[in-house]
Amino acid sequence: MTKTMSYYPGCSSQASAVHLDTSLRAVMGKLGVQLRDVEDWNCCGASVGHIEGGHLGQAALSGRNLANAQAAGGEDFVTPCAACYLNSHYTNEKIRENPTLKAQVNEALAEAGKSYDGGLHVRHACEVIVNDIGVDKVKEQVTNPLTGMKMAGWVGCQTVRPFANTERGGTWETYDDPSFLDDFIAACGAEAVPFKGKTKCCGGSVSVMSPDKTLHLMKDILDEVKASGAEAVVTPCPLCQTNLEMYQPQINKAFGTDFNYPVLFYSQVMAVAFGLEGKTDAALHQHLIPPEALLSKAK
Amino acid sequence: MTALSPTPSKKYDLSFARWVYDNVDGGDRLALCMQCGTCSGSCPIGTQMDHGPRKLFMMIRAGMKEAVLTSNTLWNCVSCYNCVVRCPRKVPVAYILHDLATVAVREGYAEARNSDNARFAKAFWWSAAKYGRTDERLVTGKYYFSFGMAEGYKRGMANLPIALGMIKTKRMHLGMPHACKNTGELHKVLAKAAEIEARDHGKQG
Repeated sequence: MTKTMSYYPGCSSQASAVHLDTSLRAVMGKLGVQLRDVEDWNCCGASVGHIEGGHLGQAALSGRNLANAQAAGGEDFVTPCAACYLNSHYTNEKIRENPTLKAQVNEALAEAGKSYDGGLHVRHACEVIVNDIGVDKVKEQVTNPLTGMKMAGWVGCQTVRPFANTERGGTWETYDDPSFLDDFIAACGAEAVPFKGKTKCCGGSVSVMSPDKTLHLMKDILDEVKASGAEAVVTPCPLCQTNLEMYQPQINKAFGTDFNYPVLFYSQVMAVAFGLEGKTDAALHQHLIPPEALLSKAK
Repeated sequence: MTALSPTPSKKYDLSFARWVYDNVDGGDRLALCMQCGTCSGSCPIGTQMDHGPRKLFMMIRAGMKEAVLTSNTLWNCVSCYNCVVRCPRKVPVAYILHDLATVAVREGYAEARNSDNARFAKAFWWSAAKYGRTDERLVTGKYYFSFGMAEGYKRGMANLPIALGMIKTKRMHLGMPHACKNTGELHKVLAKAAEIEARDHGKQG
Protein backbone atom coordinates (compact mmCIF):
# COMPACT_ATOMS: atom_id res chain seq x y z
CA MET A 1 0.00 0.00 0.00
CA THR A 2 2.81 2.38 0.82
CA LYS A 3 3.86 4.51 -2.10
CA THR A 4 7.38 5.98 -2.32
CA MET A 5 7.92 9.47 -3.72
CA SER A 6 10.99 11.65 -4.13
CA TYR A 7 10.86 14.42 -1.56
CA TYR A 8 12.49 17.83 -1.87
CA PRO A 9 12.20 19.51 1.54
CA GLY A 10 13.87 22.83 0.59
CA CYS A 11 16.12 25.09 2.65
CA SER A 12 13.43 26.34 5.04
CA SER A 13 13.00 22.73 6.24
CA GLN A 14 16.30 23.14 8.08
CA ALA A 15 15.49 26.54 9.54
CA SER A 16 12.38 28.73 9.72
CA ALA A 17 9.95 25.99 8.64
CA VAL A 18 11.48 22.96 10.33
CA HIS A 19 8.06 22.39 11.96
CA LEU A 20 6.48 21.94 8.52
CA ASP A 21 9.03 19.29 7.56
CA THR A 22 8.77 17.41 10.87
CA SER A 23 4.97 17.33 10.88
CA LEU A 24 4.60 16.53 7.19
CA ARG A 25 6.92 13.53 7.43
CA ALA A 26 4.91 12.21 10.40
CA VAL A 27 1.57 12.76 8.66
CA MET A 28 2.62 11.31 5.31
CA GLY A 29 3.82 8.20 7.10
CA LYS A 30 0.33 7.73 8.55
CA LEU A 31 -1.22 8.39 5.15
CA GLY A 32 0.83 5.69 3.46
CA VAL A 33 3.30 7.79 1.48
CA GLN A 34 6.99 7.13 2.02
CA LEU A 35 9.01 10.29 1.37
CA ARG A 36 12.49 9.55 0.04
CA ASP A 37 14.75 12.63 0.22
CA VAL A 38 16.27 13.80 -3.05
CA GLU A 39 19.97 12.96 -2.85
CA ASP A 40 22.08 15.97 -1.83
CA TRP A 41 19.37 18.47 -2.83
CA ASN A 42 20.23 22.15 -3.24
CA CYS A 43 18.42 25.49 -2.98
CA CYS A 44 15.89 26.31 -5.75
CA GLY A 45 16.87 30.01 -5.89
CA ALA A 46 13.47 31.11 -4.50
CA SER A 47 12.10 34.45 -5.72
CA VAL A 48 15.43 36.23 -6.19
CA GLY A 49 18.02 33.71 -7.47
CA HIS A 50 17.69 34.83 -11.08
CA ILE A 51 18.84 38.38 -10.29
CA GLU A 52 22.42 37.35 -9.47
CA GLY A 53 22.52 33.85 -10.88
CA GLY A 54 20.70 34.55 -14.14
CA HIS A 55 17.95 32.71 -15.84
CA LEU A 56 20.05 29.64 -16.55
CA GLY A 57 21.75 29.61 -13.14
CA GLN A 58 18.30 29.46 -11.57
CA ALA A 59 17.23 26.68 -13.96
CA ALA A 60 20.43 24.73 -13.25
CA LEU A 61 19.68 24.72 -9.51
CA SER A 62 16.32 23.03 -10.09
CA GLY A 63 17.84 20.92 -12.86
CA ARG A 64 20.33 19.31 -10.49
CA ASN A 65 17.58 18.43 -8.00
CA LEU A 66 15.39 16.96 -10.72
CA ALA A 67 18.31 14.98 -12.16
CA ASN A 68 19.17 13.54 -8.75
CA ALA A 69 15.53 12.60 -8.16
CA GLN A 70 15.15 10.98 -11.56
CA ALA A 71 18.32 8.94 -11.01
CA ALA A 72 16.75 7.50 -7.85
CA GLY A 73 13.68 6.29 -9.77
CA GLY A 74 9.94 6.93 -9.57
CA GLU A 75 7.98 9.61 -11.33
CA ASP A 76 6.94 12.05 -8.60
CA PHE A 77 8.96 14.95 -7.21
CA VAL A 78 7.11 16.23 -4.15
CA THR A 79 7.82 19.40 -2.23
CA PRO A 80 5.99 21.10 0.65
CA CYS A 81 7.41 24.57 -0.07
CA ALA A 82 5.57 27.08 -2.25
CA ALA A 83 8.72 28.60 -3.76
CA CYS A 84 10.43 25.23 -4.28
CA TYR A 85 7.26 24.04 -6.02
CA LEU A 86 7.10 27.12 -8.21
CA ASN A 87 10.74 27.00 -9.31
CA SER A 88 11.00 23.24 -9.75
CA HIS A 89 7.71 23.16 -11.66
CA TYR A 90 8.70 26.09 -13.84
CA THR A 91 12.05 24.60 -14.79
CA ASN A 92 10.47 21.21 -15.39
CA GLU A 93 7.84 22.72 -17.69
CA LYS A 94 10.46 24.74 -19.57
CA ILE A 95 12.64 21.67 -20.04
CA ARG A 96 9.64 19.84 -21.52
CA GLU A 97 8.59 22.69 -23.81
CA ASN A 98 11.81 24.33 -24.81
CA PRO A 99 14.53 22.22 -26.47
CA THR A 100 17.05 25.06 -26.22
CA LEU A 101 16.70 25.37 -22.47
CA LYS A 102 16.69 21.60 -22.11
CA ALA A 103 20.02 21.40 -23.99
CA GLN A 104 21.50 24.26 -21.98
CA VAL A 105 20.51 22.80 -18.60
CA ASN A 106 21.83 19.39 -19.62
CA GLU A 107 25.10 20.87 -20.85
CA ALA A 108 25.56 22.43 -17.40
CA LEU A 109 24.52 19.19 -15.62
CA ALA A 110 27.01 17.22 -17.74
CA GLU A 111 29.76 18.92 -15.73
CA ALA A 112 28.57 16.72 -12.88
CA GLY A 113 27.94 13.68 -15.09
CA LYS A 114 24.19 14.17 -14.67
CA SER A 115 21.24 14.62 -17.02
CA TYR A 116 17.50 15.25 -16.85
CA ASP A 117 14.85 14.65 -19.53
CA GLY A 118 11.78 16.41 -18.09
CA GLY A 119 10.08 13.15 -17.20
CA LEU A 120 9.20 13.80 -13.55
CA HIS A 121 5.95 15.27 -12.23
CA VAL A 122 6.68 18.16 -9.89
CA ARG A 123 3.99 18.12 -7.24
CA HIS A 124 3.00 20.04 -4.16
CA ALA A 125 2.54 17.92 -1.04
CA CYS A 126 -1.02 19.26 -0.65
CA GLU A 127 -1.86 18.19 -4.19
CA VAL A 128 -0.61 14.68 -3.41
CA ILE A 129 -2.89 14.59 -0.37
CA VAL A 130 -5.85 15.78 -2.48
CA ASN A 131 -5.33 13.58 -5.54
CA ASP A 132 -3.38 10.48 -4.49
CA ILE A 133 -4.39 10.05 -0.87
CA GLY A 134 -7.79 11.73 -0.71
CA VAL A 135 -9.33 13.85 2.03
CA ASP A 136 -11.48 10.86 3.09
CA LYS A 137 -8.30 8.98 3.98
CA VAL A 138 -7.19 11.96 6.06
CA LYS A 139 -10.52 11.82 7.89
CA GLU A 140 -10.10 8.11 8.57
CA GLN A 141 -6.86 8.77 10.45
CA VAL A 142 -8.42 11.30 12.84
CA THR A 143 -8.56 10.02 16.40
CA ASN A 144 -8.48 13.39 18.13
CA PRO A 145 -10.93 15.63 16.26
CA LEU A 146 -10.40 19.33 16.85
CA THR A 147 -14.08 19.85 17.56
CA GLY A 148 -15.15 23.41 18.25
CA MET A 149 -11.95 25.02 16.98
CA LYS A 150 -12.34 27.81 14.42
CA MET A 151 -9.53 28.03 11.91
CA ALA A 152 -8.86 30.37 8.98
CA GLY A 153 -7.37 28.50 6.01
CA TRP A 154 -4.84 30.84 4.43
CA VAL A 155 -3.48 29.44 1.17
CA GLY A 156 -1.38 32.45 0.14
CA CYS A 157 0.08 32.72 -3.35
CA GLN A 158 2.62 30.37 -4.85
CA THR A 159 1.07 27.14 -3.62
CA VAL A 160 -1.71 27.70 -6.18
CA ARG A 161 -0.33 30.43 -8.45
CA PRO A 162 0.57 30.07 -11.20
CA PHE A 163 0.79 26.28 -11.36
CA ALA A 164 -2.18 24.81 -9.53
CA ASN A 165 -4.14 24.21 -12.69
CA THR A 166 -1.45 23.33 -15.17
CA GLU A 167 -0.16 19.92 -14.17
CA ARG A 168 -2.42 16.92 -14.67
CA GLY A 169 -5.13 18.82 -16.52
CA GLY A 170 -6.33 21.10 -13.77
CA THR A 171 -7.51 18.41 -11.41
CA TRP A 172 -6.80 20.04 -8.13
CA GLU A 173 -7.28 23.68 -7.39
CA THR A 174 -8.32 27.11 -8.59
CA TYR A 175 -6.31 30.29 -8.27
CA ASP A 176 -8.60 32.59 -6.35
CA ASP A 177 -10.89 30.35 -4.31
CA PRO A 178 -9.15 27.07 -3.55
CA SER A 179 -10.98 24.71 -1.21
CA PHE A 180 -8.36 22.12 -0.33
CA LEU A 181 -7.16 23.77 2.86
CA ASP A 182 -10.70 24.19 4.21
CA ASP A 183 -11.28 20.52 3.38
CA PHE A 184 -8.17 19.54 5.36
CA ILE A 185 -9.30 21.63 8.35
CA ALA A 186 -12.82 20.16 8.24
CA ALA A 187 -11.42 16.62 7.93
CA CYS A 188 -9.52 17.23 11.17
CA GLY A 189 -12.78 18.06 12.93
CA ALA A 190 -12.25 21.81 13.20
CA GLU A 191 -14.41 24.48 11.64
CA ALA A 192 -12.97 26.13 8.53
CA VAL A 193 -14.43 29.59 8.88
CA PRO A 194 -15.28 31.63 5.77
CA PHE A 195 -12.13 33.72 5.33
CA LYS A 196 -11.74 36.55 2.85
CA GLY A 197 -7.96 36.62 3.10
CA LYS A 198 -7.63 33.10 1.66
CA THR A 199 -5.30 33.92 -1.23
CA LYS A 200 -3.96 37.29 -0.09
CA CYS A 201 -0.23 37.89 -0.27
CA CYS A 202 1.98 38.41 2.81
CA GLY A 203 4.63 40.18 0.75
CA GLY A 204 6.81 37.08 0.40
CA SER A 205 10.53 37.79 0.31
CA VAL A 206 9.86 41.55 0.13
CA SER A 207 8.53 41.22 3.68
CA VAL A 208 11.85 39.71 4.71
CA MET A 209 13.95 42.42 3.10
CA SER A 210 11.70 45.51 3.41
CA PRO A 211 8.90 44.91 5.94
CA ASP A 212 8.13 48.64 5.97
CA LYS A 213 6.68 48.17 2.46
CA THR A 214 4.49 45.19 3.31
CA LEU A 215 3.40 45.28 6.97
CA HIS A 216 0.06 46.65 5.77
CA LEU A 217 -0.48 43.55 3.59
CA MET A 218 -0.09 41.28 6.61
CA LYS A 219 -2.23 43.62 8.71
CA ASP A 220 -5.01 43.27 6.09
CA ILE A 221 -4.79 39.48 6.36
CA LEU A 222 -4.93 39.61 10.16
CA ASP A 223 -7.92 41.97 9.98
CA GLU A 224 -9.69 39.32 7.89
CA VAL A 225 -8.73 36.64 10.42
CA LYS A 226 -10.28 38.74 13.15
CA ALA A 227 -13.43 39.38 11.08
CA SER A 228 -13.76 35.64 10.41
CA GLY A 229 -13.83 34.80 14.09
CA ALA A 230 -11.00 32.27 13.75
CA GLU A 231 -8.78 31.44 16.70
CA ALA A 232 -5.82 30.38 14.57
CA VAL A 233 -4.52 30.60 11.03
CA VAL A 234 -3.59 27.52 9.01
CA THR A 235 -1.29 27.71 5.98
CA PRO A 236 0.67 25.41 3.65
CA CYS A 237 3.45 27.94 2.91
CA PRO A 238 6.73 28.16 4.87
CA LEU A 239 7.28 31.86 4.21
CA CYS A 240 3.63 32.78 4.88
CA GLN A 241 3.86 31.03 8.25
CA THR A 242 7.07 32.78 9.24
CA ASN A 243 6.07 36.24 8.01
CA LEU A 244 2.60 36.29 9.52
CA GLU A 245 3.85 34.94 12.83
CA MET A 246 7.06 36.90 13.34
CA TYR A 247 5.72 40.29 12.30
CA GLN A 248 2.65 40.37 14.55
CA PRO A 249 4.46 42.37 17.28
CA GLN A 250 5.72 44.92 14.69
CA ILE A 251 2.25 45.14 13.14
CA ASN A 252 0.70 45.74 16.55
CA LYS A 253 3.22 48.50 17.20
CA ALA A 254 2.72 50.14 13.80
CA PHE A 255 -1.08 49.96 13.68
CA GLY A 256 -2.10 49.90 17.34
CA THR A 257 -3.66 46.44 17.01
CA ASP A 258 -3.48 43.52 19.43
CA PHE A 259 -3.08 40.49 17.17
CA ASN A 260 -1.70 37.33 18.72
CA TYR A 261 -2.85 34.55 16.40
CA PRO A 262 -1.02 31.24 16.25
CA VAL A 263 -0.14 30.40 12.61
CA LEU A 264 -0.05 26.64 12.04
CA PHE A 265 0.85 24.40 9.14
CA TYR A 266 -1.93 22.11 7.88
CA SER A 267 0.41 19.20 8.60
CA GLN A 268 0.62 20.19 12.26
CA VAL A 269 -3.16 20.35 12.47
CA MET A 270 -3.33 16.86 10.92
CA ALA A 271 -0.63 15.53 13.26
CA VAL A 272 -2.60 16.72 16.30
CA ALA A 273 -5.87 15.36 14.90
CA PHE A 274 -4.18 12.01 14.13
CA GLY A 275 -3.23 11.82 17.82
CA LEU A 276 0.48 11.99 17.06
CA GLU A 277 2.98 13.30 19.57
CA GLY A 278 2.77 17.10 20.06
CA LYS A 279 6.49 17.75 20.13
CA THR A 280 8.31 15.16 18.03
CA ASP A 281 5.57 14.77 15.40
CA ALA A 282 3.54 18.01 15.37
CA ALA A 283 6.47 20.27 16.40
CA LEU A 284 4.05 22.53 18.25
CA HIS A 285 6.84 23.84 20.47
CA GLN A 286 8.48 25.63 17.54
CA HIS A 287 6.17 28.63 17.34
CA LEU A 288 6.86 32.22 18.30
CA ILE A 289 3.15 32.45 19.18
CA PRO A 290 2.53 29.14 20.99
CA PRO A 291 -0.55 27.19 19.84
CA GLU A 292 -0.55 24.45 22.50
CA ALA A 293 -3.02 26.04 24.92
CA LEU A 294 -5.48 26.72 22.12
CA LEU A 295 -5.21 23.21 20.67
CA SER A 296 -5.60 21.53 24.05
CA LYS A 297 -8.84 23.43 24.50
CA ALA A 298 -10.28 21.52 21.55
CA LYS A 299 -9.57 18.11 23.05
CA MET B 1 21.96 38.08 -21.24
CA THR B 2 25.30 39.83 -21.10
CA ALA B 3 24.61 41.80 -24.29
CA LEU B 4 23.50 45.33 -23.52
CA SER B 5 20.04 46.16 -24.73
CA PRO B 6 19.79 48.86 -27.42
CA THR B 7 18.98 52.42 -26.39
CA PRO B 8 16.24 53.92 -28.59
CA SER B 9 17.28 57.09 -30.39
CA LYS B 10 13.82 58.64 -30.55
CA LYS B 11 10.37 58.31 -29.04
CA TYR B 12 8.45 55.18 -30.08
CA ASP B 13 11.62 53.65 -31.50
CA LEU B 14 10.87 49.94 -31.07
CA SER B 15 14.46 48.71 -30.84
CA PHE B 16 14.35 48.26 -27.05
CA ALA B 17 10.87 46.72 -27.18
CA ARG B 18 12.04 44.22 -29.83
CA TRP B 19 15.05 43.36 -27.71
CA VAL B 20 12.74 42.70 -24.74
CA TYR B 21 10.46 40.52 -26.93
CA ASP B 22 13.46 38.38 -27.91
CA ASN B 23 15.60 38.34 -24.77
CA VAL B 24 13.40 38.58 -21.71
CA ASP B 25 11.66 35.53 -20.25
CA GLY B 26 8.01 35.80 -21.33
CA GLY B 27 8.82 38.78 -23.55
CA ASP B 28 7.55 36.93 -26.61
CA ARG B 29 3.99 37.55 -25.37
CA LEU B 30 4.51 41.16 -24.35
CA ALA B 31 3.31 42.56 -27.68
CA LEU B 32 -0.08 40.98 -26.94
CA CYS B 33 -0.65 43.36 -24.00
CA MET B 34 -3.86 45.33 -24.60
CA GLN B 35 -3.35 47.74 -21.71
CA CYS B 36 -6.42 46.57 -19.78
CA GLY B 37 -4.74 47.07 -16.41
CA THR B 38 -5.84 43.77 -14.87
CA CYS B 39 -2.22 43.26 -13.78
CA SER B 40 -1.79 46.59 -12.01
CA GLY B 41 -5.27 46.30 -10.53
CA SER B 42 -4.54 42.80 -9.19
CA CYS B 43 -1.19 43.76 -7.70
CA PRO B 44 -1.25 43.79 -3.86
CA ILE B 45 1.46 46.43 -3.83
CA GLY B 46 0.55 48.26 -7.05
CA THR B 47 -0.15 51.53 -5.27
CA GLN B 48 3.45 51.53 -4.02
CA MET B 49 4.90 51.16 -7.52
CA ASP B 50 5.98 54.21 -9.51
CA HIS B 51 4.34 52.87 -12.68
CA GLY B 52 2.86 49.40 -12.23
CA PRO B 53 3.15 46.70 -14.90
CA ARG B 54 0.52 48.03 -17.32
CA LYS B 55 2.18 51.40 -17.70
CA LEU B 56 5.65 49.89 -17.66
CA PHE B 57 4.77 47.70 -20.64
CA MET B 58 3.57 50.75 -22.60
CA MET B 59 6.80 52.52 -21.67
CA ILE B 60 8.76 49.63 -23.15
CA ARG B 61 6.91 50.12 -26.43
CA ALA B 62 7.43 53.86 -26.19
CA GLY B 63 11.17 53.27 -26.14
CA MET B 64 11.64 54.61 -22.59
CA LYS B 65 14.45 52.18 -21.77
CA GLU B 66 16.11 54.10 -18.97
CA ALA B 67 12.83 54.93 -17.21
CA VAL B 68 11.88 51.23 -17.43
CA LEU B 69 15.15 49.89 -16.09
CA THR B 70 15.28 52.40 -13.22
CA SER B 71 11.64 51.83 -12.25
CA ASN B 72 10.80 50.54 -8.77
CA THR B 73 8.03 48.46 -10.38
CA LEU B 74 10.72 45.84 -11.04
CA TRP B 75 11.72 45.76 -7.37
CA ASN B 76 8.45 46.00 -5.53
CA CYS B 77 6.99 42.84 -7.10
CA VAL B 78 6.04 40.46 -4.27
CA SER B 79 5.84 37.44 -6.63
CA CYS B 80 2.20 36.66 -5.84
CA TYR B 81 1.48 35.75 -9.51
CA ASN B 82 -2.00 37.27 -9.48
CA CYS B 83 -1.05 39.14 -12.66
CA VAL B 84 0.17 35.96 -14.37
CA VAL B 85 -3.01 33.96 -13.78
CA ARG B 86 -5.41 36.84 -14.42
CA CYS B 87 -3.97 38.38 -17.59
CA PRO B 88 -6.62 37.87 -20.31
CA ARG B 89 -3.88 37.81 -22.97
CA LYS B 90 -1.73 35.31 -21.04
CA VAL B 91 1.20 37.70 -20.74
CA PRO B 92 3.43 36.25 -17.99
CA VAL B 93 3.68 39.62 -16.24
CA ALA B 94 5.66 38.74 -13.10
CA TYR B 95 8.20 36.72 -15.10
CA ILE B 96 8.81 39.70 -17.37
CA LEU B 97 9.29 42.00 -14.36
CA HIS B 98 11.71 39.52 -12.77
CA ASP B 99 13.81 39.19 -15.89
CA LEU B 100 13.81 42.96 -16.48
CA ALA B 101 15.16 43.30 -12.93
CA THR B 102 18.03 40.99 -13.88
CA VAL B 103 18.68 43.10 -16.99
CA ALA B 104 18.66 46.34 -14.96
CA VAL B 105 21.26 44.97 -12.53
CA ARG B 106 23.47 43.63 -15.32
CA GLU B 107 23.35 46.91 -17.19
CA GLY B 108 24.55 48.63 -14.02
CA TYR B 109 21.73 51.05 -13.23
CA ALA B 110 22.35 52.48 -9.75
CA GLU B 111 18.61 52.46 -8.92
CA ALA B 112 18.62 48.74 -9.63
CA ARG B 113 21.87 47.83 -7.90
CA ASN B 114 20.99 49.83 -4.78
CA SER B 115 17.47 48.43 -4.51
CA ASP B 116 16.63 46.32 -1.47
CA ASN B 117 15.77 43.43 -3.74
CA ALA B 118 19.10 43.44 -5.64
CA ARG B 119 21.04 43.66 -2.37
CA PHE B 120 19.02 40.80 -0.92
CA ALA B 121 19.42 38.78 -4.13
CA LYS B 122 23.19 39.19 -3.94
CA ALA B 123 23.31 37.87 -0.37
CA PHE B 124 20.87 35.08 -1.24
CA TRP B 125 22.76 33.87 -4.31
CA TRP B 126 26.03 33.96 -2.38
CA SER B 127 24.63 31.44 0.11
CA ALA B 128 22.76 29.30 -2.43
CA ALA B 129 25.71 29.04 -4.82
CA LYS B 130 28.44 28.65 -2.18
CA TYR B 131 26.76 26.19 0.16
CA GLY B 132 23.98 24.87 -2.05
CA ARG B 133 21.57 25.92 0.71
CA THR B 134 20.08 29.18 1.87
CA ASP B 135 21.29 30.07 5.34
CA GLU B 136 18.62 32.49 6.53
CA ARG B 137 20.91 33.94 9.24
CA LEU B 138 23.82 34.71 6.97
CA VAL B 139 21.67 35.96 4.09
CA THR B 140 19.79 38.37 6.35
CA GLY B 141 22.99 39.53 8.06
CA LYS B 142 24.83 40.05 4.79
CA TYR B 143 21.83 41.93 3.40
CA TYR B 144 21.55 44.23 6.45
CA PHE B 145 25.25 45.11 6.34
CA SER B 146 25.14 45.81 2.59
CA PHE B 147 23.75 49.19 3.68
CA GLY B 148 26.90 49.89 5.74
CA MET B 149 27.92 49.19 9.33
CA ALA B 150 25.64 51.70 11.05
CA GLU B 151 22.51 50.78 9.08
CA GLY B 152 23.34 47.07 9.35
CA TYR B 153 23.57 47.35 13.11
CA LYS B 154 20.31 49.33 13.25
CA ARG B 155 18.43 46.76 11.17
CA GLY B 156 19.97 43.89 13.12
CA MET B 157 18.91 45.40 16.43
CA ALA B 158 15.39 46.12 15.15
CA ASN B 159 14.94 42.44 14.32
CA LEU B 160 16.84 41.02 17.27
CA PRO B 161 13.67 39.93 19.13
CA ILE B 162 12.67 37.88 16.07
CA ALA B 163 16.13 36.31 15.76
CA LEU B 164 16.21 35.40 19.46
CA GLY B 165 12.73 33.90 19.18
CA MET B 166 13.79 31.84 16.18
CA ILE B 167 16.89 30.56 18.02
CA LYS B 168 14.82 29.70 21.09
CA THR B 169 12.31 27.72 19.02
CA LYS B 170 15.13 25.99 17.11
CA ARG B 171 14.21 27.59 13.78
CA MET B 172 17.57 29.31 13.55
CA HIS B 173 20.67 27.34 14.37
CA LEU B 174 24.03 28.42 15.70
CA GLY B 175 27.23 27.11 14.15
CA MET B 176 28.28 26.22 10.63
CA PRO B 177 25.91 26.83 7.70
CA HIS B 178 23.91 23.91 6.35
CA ALA B 179 25.45 22.79 3.06
CA CYS B 180 25.22 20.22 0.30
CA LYS B 181 27.63 17.30 0.56
CA ASN B 182 28.95 17.84 -2.93
CA THR B 183 29.31 21.60 -3.21
CA GLY B 184 32.20 21.18 -5.66
CA GLU B 185 29.87 19.52 -8.13
CA LEU B 186 27.29 22.29 -7.73
CA HIS B 187 29.93 24.98 -8.27
CA LYS B 188 30.95 23.30 -11.56
CA VAL B 189 27.33 23.12 -12.77
CA LEU B 190 26.66 26.78 -11.91
CA ALA B 191 29.91 27.98 -13.49
CA LYS B 192 29.00 26.14 -16.67
CA ALA B 193 25.47 27.60 -16.59
CA ALA B 194 26.92 31.13 -16.37
CA GLU B 195 29.31 30.33 -19.24
CA ILE B 196 26.46 29.02 -21.42
CA GLU B 197 24.24 32.00 -20.64
CA ALA B 198 27.03 34.38 -21.73
CA ARG B 199 27.67 32.34 -24.87
CA ASP B 200 24.06 31.75 -25.96
CA HIS B 201 22.43 35.05 -25.01
CA GLY B 202 19.26 35.67 -26.96
CA LYS B 203 18.65 31.95 -27.37
CA GLN B 204 17.09 31.13 -24.05
CA GLY B 205 13.75 29.75 -23.07
